[in-house]
Formats: sequence, C-alpha cells, structure tokens
Amino acid sequence: MMLARNLARRKLRTALTIIGITVGIWALVVFGALASKIDLLVSGAHDYFGNKVVVSSAAGGGGMFPLSSALVARAQVVDGVDVAYGEINTMVDHDAKQVGLPDEIVGLVAGSDRGRDTFPYRFAAGRPLGASDAATRNVVLGADLARKNGAAIGGTIRLRGVEFAIVGILEPTLTLPDSQAFLPMAAAQDLYVIDLPEDVVKSIVPSDTITHIVVYPTAGTDVEALSARLEAALPSVTTLTASEFDETIGATANLLSAIIVGVGLISLIVGGLSVVNTMAMSVNERTREIGIKRAIGGSRRRIVAELVAESGLIGLLGGLFGLGLGVLAVTLGNDAGRESGTALFTLTATTAISSVIFATVLGMAAGILPATHAARLDPVQALRHE
Amino acid sequence: MALLEARNLHKTFRLGRTNTVHALRGVDVTIEAGEMVAIMGPSGSGKSTLMHVLGLLHEPDRGTTPAPVLAINGSDVLRQSDRARTQIRARELGFVFQSYNLVPTLSAVENVALAATYAGRGGRAGRNAALDSLELVGLADRAAHRPNQLSGGEQQRVAIARALVNEPRLVLGDEPTGNLDSARTAEVLGLLRRFNRERGQSLLIVTHDPEVGAACDRIISMRDGLVLDAGLLRAA
Repeated sequence: MMLARNLARRKLRTALTIIGITVGIWALVVFGALASKIDLLVSGAHDYFGNKVVVSSAAGGGGMFPLSSALVARAQVVDGVDVAYGEINTMVDHDAKQVGLPDEIVGLVAGSDRGRDTFPYRFAAGRPLGASDAATRNVVLGADLARKNGAAIGGTIRLRGVEFAIVGILEPTLTLPDSQAFLPMAAAQDLYVIDLPEDVVKSIVPSDTITHIVVYPTAGTDVEALSARLEAALPSVTTLTASEFDETIGATANLLSAIIVGVGLISLIVGGLSVVNTMAMSVNERTREIGIKRAIGGSRRRIVAELVAESGLIGLLGGLFGLGLGVLAVTLGNDAGRESGTALFTLTATTAISSVIFATVLGMAAGILPATHAARLDPVQALRHE
Repeated sequence: MALLEARNLHKTFRLGRTNTVHALRGVDVTIEAGEMVAIMGPSGSGKSTLMHVLGLLHEPDRGTTPAPVLAINGSDVLRQSDRARTQIRARELGFVFQSYNLVPTLSAVENVALAATYAGRGGRAGRNAALDSLELVGLADRAAHRPNQLSGGEQQRVAIARALVNEPRLVLGDEPTGNLDSARTAEVLGLLRRFNRERGQSLLIVTHDPEVGAACDRIISMRDGLVLDAGLLRAA
C-alpha cells in the first residue's frame, strides 16, 4: 500500500523503469522459449536414436548418399548385432529453405525392424504401413507435414511429383517423425533416384539401393564398440549413435541456446541498471523523508527493507508484464508458424516462473546500493536536505 | 536520578580542511522528570546542536577529557550501538521540529502510526494508538488528511501527536513554534504546557521566542557553545 504510493509519486519515471524490465523479461521469455524448443528437438532426437546405430555412406551428403542393400546382410553378421535393416532417408525438396527440421522421405520395409523400433508412434488417423502396402503408393505422414499440406486420410499428396494415397497420419512427436513421410521401400527407392546425378544412377541398381542401415544391438552390447566394429566390417561407411549425436548436434544446439539466453540476460541487465538509476534518484528526492524516519526511530535495516521492497516491486511488475507480453509473442508466433508447420517456441513453466523471480530479485539487488547509502545518512543532515 | 544527565559534551564540525566549528565546548545539562525546559541563545550559540546530541541524532566528540557522559534514565547511551540508540529514539524520545517534518505521502494518522510501528506497535494497535494521540491534540477529524491538506498549526499538532504516541520520557522540540504566527504559537504552546502539567510530560525546547521561554519552568542560556546559565535559580 505504502509501497505502491511511493512508486506512484513519480509515475512517468516508475513506468519507464518498469518498461525497461518488461522488455528485458520479454526478451528472456521469448528467447528462453526458443532455446527450450531447440533443447526439446535435440532431446527428442536423442530419444529417437535410442540405442541404435545408424550406418550411412562415408562419402557424406548428409547421410543421403546411396549404399548397396547387400551391406545389410554383412552388417547382420557383425558381432553384437541383433537386427539390421535398410532404409531410404532423403529430403523431399533439396532446395527448400525452412526453419526447423526439413521434410524427409523415409522408405522402409514394413516389419523389418522386427519389433525393435520402440519409438512411440501414435496415429491421429488411419493405420501404419504393412506388408500389403509394399508394392503400393501409399504414405503415412508426420503431423507437421500433414498439417502443412492439409492432408486427410483418403486424400493424396504429391512427393517429388509423384502422387501418393494417404493411409495414416501420426500424432505430433515434437521431433523428426513430425516432418517425415513414410513410404514403402520400393516407392521410396523410385523417388530417391529421381534426384541423383546421372552417372551415379548408372552405377547403382535402384531396387538394391538404400541410404542407411539401422542396426539394433543385442542386449549387453556396448554401442560405441559395436559402431567401431561396423565401420571396420563394412566398406566406406560411417556410423552415428545417440552419444555421437549429442556430441555434435547437441553441443552446437546447447551453444546456440546459451547465446540466445545470453542475449535475453543482457537486455535484462540493462533493465536492471535502470532500476538502480531510478532508485538512486528516488532515494535522493526522499533524503529528508529518510531523515525523518531515522529521527523518529526507524532503524537502518527497516529503511533498507522499505526501499529494497520498493525496487523489488518494480522488478516484479516488470517481470509480470514482460511474461505477459512474452506469452503473447510466443502464442502469436506459434500460431503464425503453425500454418507452415513450424512451432518455433516452447514456453516451459520453469522459464515463466524463473524469469519473474529473476526480475524481482534483480530489482531488489538494484535497490540495495542506493538503500544502504540512504540508511547511512546522518539524520540531521538528511533533515536539512531540500 | 535525573531523567537526563549530560556531562562535558563537545561537538566539532569539520567544514573544510582548515575550517572547524566548535559548536559545543563542554556542556553539562541535567533535566529532571516532569520538567519543561527551554534552551535559548543567539544564532550559532550551539543550542540546536545540543538538542541533536541530547536527542541522539548526533554523537558528541569522543576522546575529550573528562570523557563525555550522556545518560538517559541512568544508562549511558554513548556506550550503546547505533541500533540501540535508534530504539531509544523510537521508545524513549519524541521529536517536534520547526518545519513539522511529516512524511508527505502519508496521512496524519499514518504519520503518527509510523512512530508507533518503530516502537514495536504495528498494525491495528499502532493505528489505534495513533488515533488516540490525534484525539489528544484535537485532530481526530483530520486523521485521513495528508500534510499538504493541513494548515501549519495543524501539521505541527500532528507532529506533536507523533512525538507523544509512544509516551516517551522526553519530548525534544527544535523551534516548534518557529514557523507559526502568534495565534498558532499560543495554541501549540498551550498544548505542550497542558501535556506537561496534566501528564507530567518532560519537555526540552530550543527556541528564540521569549514567550515560549517564559512558559517553561526554566531556561538554559547558551552562548558560543557553552551554557551561561542553567536557569536553576528561577526553577528553585
């Protein structure tokens, strides 16, 4: 009550300071939500990898160079391999510029994982591909891909100019499958070779071509050792495991998150300095009042507490407004992104609550210096202050 | 035992490297419980400084011989911490200043209640005490007014209510009528006199005004940082 009245004494200045904190917290909330989304994608991809080893051509090409399906049988006999199967994995459109994960075509033989793929695919509509789909042009679409194309069961979708019948649509997984189209192996192989350079096509047999071998280890097998054995046993391949993924993509993503959050923090510190300025001016104006309070028996501690509570309130208000604006920005941003299938932000409760607490603590910290200075003033001199 | 006993108080202000002012040059003061005492003297005689030292708003110089003594109700406050002295100001002393010194954002009752809070009576108890105190100075109907909505005389009566709310041993007045016309001066003086007579409230008042001095039991006369006359003859 008294606090609010003191803040209301200099409405414009208080408002500007609160706006400073608001902008800082807004930035922190929005950037924090962006960082959370990146973390979520990375940890989702980690789970997606599980304990499997993905083998691809050492020639590179983002793991989308052709491999011979004959290698699957050779991988299968490597010590510690439980299940090995071939897969086609290629981008729908190599030139597409989009934020987030690219749209991908995944071709596989239904059931070839022999029950080892435990990623929780759930169907929003339709059914998974089965053995009877092998020679068809049927497709199961990930959630984002389906939404982007307004796809529905019974409808069709064109992939690289070829029309497919939609038989299943997945629930959102927040990671890779959301932007994937699952095709029968033969159909995927047909699409895959369309974009390959001619001399490459001449050197391969499309129906024997895959891009990846997915390997599940037997129980108790060390995944890193297995991936080393696979690289030794198969000619010119490279392997990727969950922990390698974490080291490369994960580390980059963490750095990106740190930079993003850092930018938010810097803007908040600027806001915090403006609280210091406001409180210093406010204390100076109230020197005489502080003298009165000291004279009639107000302790130093009480004077400090009063002023710190005031600057904390500035921080809290800025934090709440900033959070409100941040939620608005994140919601609008995600609504706009939904059209194109990319939700950029994930606002977690931790981000929301901690940013408001942070703003309050920052405000209080900013008030401590002017407040202690004020409490140390000589009461008589303070009383003479005009 | 005297209510307040001060011995050999010195106070030096350092204004520049070579410019020091000896505002007090060895002052002894004794105030008995129930007394109403004026401190008078020309400008620069040290009377306000004396009041600030006696009111624990300033510390006297240390290291003078004999060592300074400032005892309130028998205990030497110069040996106590700032925190303890702040509590003595809150509980044992009341202040009335020339320029009222009310907190401008607080209403009359909140200003008075603030002093009660500092003495350990917060919330409803403090507010009730503040209302009682305002009643004593005849301002119960002005409790919700802010200082800028009150006349000078009324503001000073709020300040008196604030000084009295914790029933202090001693009320210190620093030119309490200095900003008031003669009618308001008579009003405020009458009020202080009444609290002294009816409730045995001890008062120490710094003043220029001979009329205020005349209303007191005795006058301590000061000049050049020394007490010329403690006024004890007239009191006797």
